[in-house]
Amino acid sequence: MDYPKRYGVIVIGGGHAGCEAALASARMGVETLLLTHNIETLGQMSCNPAIGGIGKSHLVKEIDALGGAMALATDHAGIQFRVLNSRKGPAVRATRAQADRILYKAYIRHTLENQQHLDIFQQSADDLVMEGDKARGVITNMGVRFHSDTVVLTAGTFLGGKIHIGLESHSGGRAGDPPSIALAERLREMPFRVDRLKTGTPPRIDARSVNFSQMEAQPGDDVTPVMSFWGSADMHPEQISCYITHTNEKTHDIIRAGLDRSPMYTGVIEGIGPRYCPSIEDKIHRFADKSSHQIFIEPEGLTTHELYPNGISTSLPFDVQLDLVHSMKGLENAHITRPGYAIEYDFFDPRDLRYSLETKFVDGLFFAGQINGTTGYEEAGAQGLLAGLNAALRSQEKEAWTPRRDEAYLGVLVDDLISMGTREPYRMFTSRAEYRLILREDNADIRLTEKGRELGLVNDDLWEKFCVKKEAIIQESQRMKNTWVQPGSPIAEKLTAYINRPLSREYSLMELMRRPELDFNKIAEVTGDLLVTDAVAEQVEIAAKYEGYISRQLDDINKLKRNEDTKFPLDLDFDNVKGLSNEVKQKLKESRPETLGQASRIPGITPAAVSLLLVSLKKHRATKSMNVDIK
Amino acid sequence: MNDLMYSPDTIAAQATPSGRGGVGIIRISGVKAKEIALALIQKDTEFKPRFAHFHQFLDVNNDIVDEGLVLFFPGPNSFTGEDVIELQGHGGPVVMTSLLNRVLNLGTRMANPGEFSERAFLNDKLDLAQAEAIADLIDSASEQAARCAIRSLNGAFSDHIHVLVEQVINLRLYVEAAIDFPEEEIDFLADGKVGRDLASIIEQLDVVLKEANRGVLLKEGMKVVLAGRPNAGKSSLLNALAGRDTAIVTDIAGTTRDLLREHIHIDGMPLHIIDTAGLRDSPDAIEQEGIRRAWSEIKEADRVLLLTDASETKNVDIESMWPEFFEQLPDLDKVVVVRNKIDKTEEVQGICEKGLPTVRLSAKHGQGIDDLREYLKNAMGYQSAMEGGFTARQRHLEALKSARNYLSIGQSQLIDNGAGELLAEDLRMAQNHLNEITGEFTPDDLLGRIFSSFCIGK
Repeated sequence: MDYPKRYGVIVIGGGHAGCEAALASARMGVETLLLTHNIETLGQMSCNPAIGGIGKSHLVKEIDALGGAMALATDHAGIQFRVLNSRKGPAVRATRAQADRILYKAYIRHTLENQQHLDIFQQSADDLVMEGDKARGVITNMGVRFHSDTVVLTAGTFLGGKIHIGLESHSGGRAGDPPSIALAERLREMPFRVDRLKTGTPPRIDARSVNFSQMEAQPGDDVTPVMSFWGSADMHPEQISCYITHTNEKTHDIIRAGLDRSPMYTGVIEGIGPRYCPSIEDKIHRFADKSSHQIFIEPEGLTTHELYPNGISTSLPFDVQLDLVHSMKGLENAHITRPGYAIEYDFFDPRDLRYSLETKFVDGLFFAGQINGTTGYEEAGAQGLLAGLNAALRSQEKEAWTPRRDEAYLGVLVDDLISMGTREPYRMFTSRAEYRLILREDNADIRLTEKGRELGLVNDDLWEKFCVKKEAIIQESQRMKNTWVQPGSPIAEKLTAYINRPLSREYSLMELMRRPELDFNKIAEVTGDLLVTDAVAEQVEIAAKYEGYISRQLDDINKLKRNEDTKFPLDLDFDNVKGLSNEVKQKLKESRPETLGQASRIPGITPAAVSLLLVSLKKHRATKSMNVDIK
Repeated sequence: MNDLMYSPDTIAAQATPSGRGGVGIIRISGVKAKEIALALIQKDTEFKPRFAHFHQFLDVNNDIVDEGLVLFFPGPNSFTGEDVIELQGHGGPVVMTSLLNRVLNLGTRMANPGEFSERAFLNDKLDLAQAEAIADLIDSASEQAARCAIRSLNGAFSDHIHVLVEQVINLRLYVEAAIDFPEEEIDFLADGKVGRDLASIIEQLDVVLKEANRGVLLKEGMKVVLAGRPNAGKSSLLNALAGRDTAIVTDIAGTTRDLLREHIHIDGMPLHIIDTAGLRDSPDAIEQEGIRRAWSEIKEADRVLLLTDASETKNVDIESMWPEFFEQLPDLDKVVVVRNKIDKTEEVQGICEKGLPTVRLSAKHGQGIDDLREYLKNAMGYQSAMEGGFTARQRHLEALKSARNYLSIGQSQLIDNGAGELLAEDLRMAQNHLNEITGEFTPDDLLGRIFSSFCIGK
């Protein structure tokens, strides 16, 4: 049947990408349908029960700054919060939280169910409604045809999913869930480049069988961090600790003895796994000289005994899993509740996507999440938000929007994916961002919330809070620039507690704050003026401390702007660009960059090639305008 | 179309061929051109467009670098369509280098190969029909620049640089791993290793820069290798071109066993002439080594003058004359056949450009030497118009200096502020500059190195 209501956006998949996509589109006032094969698993954390971490918290805060759900869900579900790199400077600080799976899922479902303009429907999607080469809806498993302007596909690991435990394997999208075979086959008929990736999970353990006294406890930070700009520690449930144990020589011997039954080492698994999240068998094999590895024992929630032993992801046979777990301190008698497994799945070469995450071949079809070759909830959620908002913009017949590399980690993520593609599951790291000092987790709202408001993603309540904060930052910066300290004045005297030499001349408070010995709090203590919240003080202080670096990065951004703003016409044939080497042409054809800036970042594209492209573009445009004149 | 026009950088380069010409020109193009010229002369004055103004060019200490003319061509009525300043000073490598250095330090960027023409084209100063020619120029100029760049650094120097780059990468490995993987049991920022390594890199870079500034390790000019059978008269030709007796000339085949290098100028253009051991199978170990070196020079040469004794053979086709030599030749375009000793034959001196260029001369008696000079000059002129070893060297030194600068800023961030994330940023910038010498190194390359060096990941 044809479903009577027509949608602006249909989102297929209810994982982290799908939920943020559906929420974003609906927040913008576009009628949205979220299609999931199982409402009970909306917002499910299928892998480790944690949100955030280096590079990842940056994405979470960007989602938050654009009105998304992930950070607030974390604040409502987080049972242990820490700030990583707290001693290494604000640009690389990252908030990480253990989350209670049940609370997390509940918060997401609550948010979805209460979102205006959003309908949820439980059915698996088997096919797309196509009008020529345009995607205009979805056909479900029982034949219901939903019609829409756009479709966002967030199928995660469900496309052609295959689960491995030892040498046994079966089809599956996640342990306990079926894969999406029909849809995968349909998509494989389209001209997308498809490849296989692999990821894995560790066996889960029953806390009642664990001897925690043999392990090192790792509590959260004393001052509990908060994930969302709009959140607070009051939202947090009860806080508990994680634990740390280690593998040892005995563990390693057990693993080595089992390698002949490992699907990875016997060639059964073809997909490529992540280099930074190797299975325990990989670690033992590749770093043979290391006699011990850290294993983090993470609670899965407050109301369950299940534990997630982070660091022993494995696809070894179950008997080997049991032995290796038992070989570790505190886990001698551990009971495994679910075996670990590896999963292979299809992903689509992200170089077939535009900046908006719309596919280049099918109009109106957007891809987000693991299907694009990424890994991680945060990477998925960020893409979901972007695909959802762009699908909504398309439905509203408005121009697409994607942040640039200097505006957001989300921009880095998308630009990396669509320019370079990926050979392993792509995870965010701060070292991927050349503008790391500007793209901090603390200023994601300053960077993005105004844009979010303009797009319709940020509601009145959040907007109000944001404006108050921003105004306070401006006021306080102004005050510190305009408040002068004279040598010999009482304040200057008090400052000598921190600085070695007395002031040689008059300094503003802002100038003083740039000194390594001083910071906002010390100055506030000396002057007695503590007028603002911590969040505001933090922004003022960082701006002062990073000033030189930030202005240099802004200069660089400005210099590259011409390249970023120069778009390639759709009919530009890279083969006809005079002077380019065949290798460069090949690379350009593989990625089909949309802008000159994107082209310049493809490895192997030289500055000379960029110049040649510019010259060719100029000629192309001039020739075209002449043709128009003739007509 | 305006978006293509926008070029935020002000660029500079030497516009005249390097060498000992009477006048050398440095061209500056971009929004800051005038401001930089004013800073260079340290005067508050106006430049009347398209008029010559005589000024002294001053360095950072207000000492005179050179004196000469300043010409100002305001955009859009200039070669590039942007504000252009031309500084006409005294030609000659030392003065031109100092002047260009000063201009670069005042806030310009060294122009990329073909960049002035590129800007002219983008700013509608060149006809659309010239697009192809501009593309050719950029293509060949950058290829040429790359070749010169590799060659302008000889073995020892480029070995130093590669070791240094490798050390910077290694340092970044530690710093970035400590930042991106704080939960691993690696914190190199805290344990002092990073600080020690950084200090050692800076020290080595200083040594390299000092040597480079003294010119010890760098070469310049077109490289011409004299090659041929023993006793073809290679050393005589070297002496004839140099105008003095550099090489020992005897009738005994195999007199020259090692390389002889001579730096000469033809009308002010620099030229390296390298005399090599005669190529033959020799049982003598020293001569064998000489022949091995000869081949390595032949492979790097811009021109190979292949000498034959005209009195011994009439054949001008090397392939049939000398097949085993022909096979080993890297690039036929570089070969010039020289028929020497025409005083003993009836041949007429001069150049024949049919097939491989062939020059007929007598090194001993001087016939045809001027023809060879003229030929070399033309060959070189073509190259200098684009980019020679001189500019390539300059480019490398600029990159090294910038890298050095960022390394020391990073060092003070680490020592004074313990700011690992700022050190990381300075190291990234330093590497960006070093990449200009050694080629691209992407963030993904860096991550790859981290994952293969440290066991990372939960």
